[in-house]
Amino acid sequence: MDAEKAWQQWEPTNKRPWSIRLAAHLYRRAGFGGSYEELLGSRKVGMLSTVDQLFEAEAAPFQSQMDNLKKQVRSGGSVEQLPNYWLYRMVKSDKQLLEKSTLFWHGHFATSATKVDHAGLMLEQNDLLRDHALGKFLPLVQGISRDPAMLTYLDSRVSRKTRPNENYARELMELFCLGPGNYSEQDIKELARAFTGWEIRHDRFRFNRHQHDSGQKNILGAVGAFNGDQAVEIVLQQPAASLFIARKLLHFFVTDLPLEREIVEPLATTLRRSDFDLSLAIRKILTSRLFYESIGQKVRSPVELAIGFLRSLEATGNFVKLARLLRESGQLPFFPPNVKGWPGGRSWINSATLLGRINLISELLTDEKTRLKSGDLASWLGKYEIPGSDAVEFFESLLLARPLPAEARDRIGALIGGNGGSRNDRLKKSLVAIASLPEFQLG
Amino acid sequence: MFHSLSRRQFVNVSAGTAAGIGFFQSVPTLFARTAMAAGSPERILVVVQLSGGNDGLNTVVPFADENYYRNRFTLAIEKEAARRIDDQAGFHPSLDGFAQLLESGRLSVVQGVGYPNPNRSHFESMDLWHTAHQAESRIPNGWLGRFLSGKKGDPSEVPAIHFGAEKQPLALAAESVTYPSIRSLEQFRLNVGQDAELKKLIRENLHQERKPADELLSFIQSSADSAIRTGERVEQVLKKKAARAVYPGTPLANKLKTVSRMIQADMPTRVYYVTLDGFDTHANQADAHAGLLSQLGDAVRAFIEDLVSQGNDQRVLLFAFSEFGRRVRQNASQGTDHGTAGPVFLAGGQLRPGLFGKQPRLDQLDQGDLKFLIDYRQVYATILEKWFDVSSSEILGGRFQTLGLFSSSG
Repeated sequence: MDAEKAWQQWEPTNKRPWSIRLAAHLYRRAGFGGSYEELLGSRKVGMLSTVDQLFEAEAAPFQSQMDNLKKQVRSGGSVEQLPNYWLYRMVKSDKQLLEKSTLFWHGHFATSATKVDHAGLMLEQNDLLRDHALGKFLPLVQGISRDPAMLTYLDSRVSRKTRPNENYARELMELFCLGPGNYSEQDIKELARAFTGWEIRHDRFRFNRHQHDSGQKNILGAVGAFNGDQAVEIVLQQPAASLFIARKLLHFFVTDLPLEREIVEPLATTLRRSDFDLSLAIRKILTSRLFYESIGQKVRSPVELAIGFLRSLEATGNFVKLARLLRESGQLPFFPPNVKGWPGGRSWINSATLLGRINLISELLTDEKTRLKSGDLASWLGKYEIPGSDAVEFFESLLLARPLPAEARDRIGALIGGNGGSRNDRLKKSLVAIASLPEFQLG
Repeated sequence: MFHSLSRRQFVNVSAGTAAGIGFFQSVPTLFARTAMAAGSPERILVVVQLSGGNDGLNTVVPFADENYYRNRFTLAIEKEAARRIDDQAGFHPSLDGFAQLLESGRLSVVQGVGYPNPNRSHFESMDLWHTAHQAESRIPNGWLGRFLSGKKGDPSEVPAIHFGAEKQPLALAAESVTYPSIRSLEQFRLNVGQDAELKKLIRENLHQERKPADELLSFIQSSADSAIRTGERVEQVLKKKAARAVYPGTPLANKLKTVSRMIQADMPTRVYYVTLDGFDTHANQADAHAGLLSQLGDAVRAFIEDLVSQGNDQRVLLFAFSEFGRRVRQNASQGTDHGTAGPVFLAGGQLRPGLFGKQPRLDQLDQGDLKFLIDYRQVYATILEKWFDVSSSEILGGRFQTLGLFSSSG
């Protein structure tokens, strides 16, 4: 697809109207997956209205419920509780795009609780990411640059005038804003000077003017007595910045396949012209033809897989167990493997993680704490008046981005229509069978 | 000769025939490579990381040097108690396991291993050992990750596995792959209940031809196939009676026992990584250190003996290292502080046994610490070049002289 067509707004046609399948794609990518009810609602209102809804703010009662949960985690003091809280929030939140984008930035500004070892600081960083996830990129980077969890993670708690710590300056350019090859070692040294005197005292950021190097710096060709905030602005003014962020957003929301520069360029332009307005960029993605031509082009991350499954079933689960299963599948939120975050794509898949993913769904289905809003699987199908003979098609439209081979559809259909065990047991087994399909791993 | 058809090959031959388990008959050619690859007698490395900074001087004791007794006034191991290696040095008495391995010709000790400008931070020194990258800038991948990335093979197989609940070691980090960290073999089991019908259905659906099959879907399909095969191999091993060798009930022994089972199951894994933590003995070192060393020695001995009885000792090399040694002079708390160079250990069937290199002099210290004599990257280069038969200079970012650690057949 050429770049011009790719970035045209998607329009329904007679041949390809706005459908359950397309709405499911939007919910899978912009969030963790939709319930059938949400998909029906979306089909009714169309693509643009659905995207509008995705950008609506969180409701106050939900926020205060989450604040209470955070308080509990904080007072418990254990970083092991952190994932349970966030996984719960991902399942429960109506504002799926917000949680999904927060997860994106968590992977981007990867910080692990293993090293930070402070539940409160990790929660504060998580809130920071959520606050800016759909805002502007500059305040997000400025915020993360003084975030105590980040500074702890990158050993930049103390950076003195006489001995600037270069870690953060390096990662800021290499991993957060520009990518390798777009700065020199000298730029790192100069940028590090701008962050001197940025410290943590009593778990808070503190600017120590005695340790700040207020002299003239030459950062990426700009000369002046820059402070840290100004230095971040200079970094973001680099042409590489908008391309870097645009590409990363596209790989997260659209495809694991390689992207030509011509495809990335228009999104980078949108970012540059809007002061890096992330909402604008993400909206452009979610309404584009490119987006609706990319169904099933991503390996789903373990979190997407698990949270998506619970949301599709309108279920809630055992979050302690879920956290364990996710760790075994290779993606536990708050515990990224290193400063580069989760590499994603095909790296999600190996023998251990693949079995882990199938076992995860199987365990969710058999765990007694997994509760469906409708009671059990049979009454859930009943709610949407799906007869047994249509169950496989229903599961397929809800859970799979890729079409099933006809033979597989027949086999699973025969399993549901068979007579071993209760109907509910047979439905459970059919869902395990679906989760074991290669198609289920893609989204 | 019947014996030359190892059990490993035998398992694969029977699995490949039509008389094998039913579903293998319907395996499309796309999957044949995986089954073939499993039969090749690939060499294996098992890394044992001793975290915290092992006290090398009390591990390989220089009992002939009076400076040792002067500096270790209460912590020194008496000459009579040490398990003699030669007329200069002996093992800590708790390292009986290593002493026995040495006797049977299956252990080498490289002395005085370290690097220039020693870093005494656990975290930073461990990073250096993991990345083999001495420059000031950090890199996000490790020497083993880089080695494995250069290997051709089915990307969905698992060339490296880390056993343990701790964070995955940076040594295994690679540019575009993530290797599994697992806590038990259960993670290689398809756990969907005891329903044979369901398992059969899962396999049939998996092997169903996809039209059109794009590359991404084929990748997942073949990964799923190798995952289920891996699971079956593991399942067979779990069903077998436990190894003949008797393992102690310690955490390290349990991990190595699992590794042994994986090797026996013919996993296509080339690198296993396990950790034993607790070597940061700043205070009251004697008992803690003795406990750790007996855990280490007994576990490694049981592991190597197990491999010998399996017939796998010739293709497995175990390598144990720590991020640094301890200061020569003990501290005021009956312990020792962070130091520099120390010994590393190699065990297996193809080694030239005994002490390699020299004990750094105790009367020529650098700010109270031993001066290293052998760069740790020389040990890595030896493992890469002589054990794995790959060029090491790109992986290690430079040429390092290899050491003559292996017997001529190695």
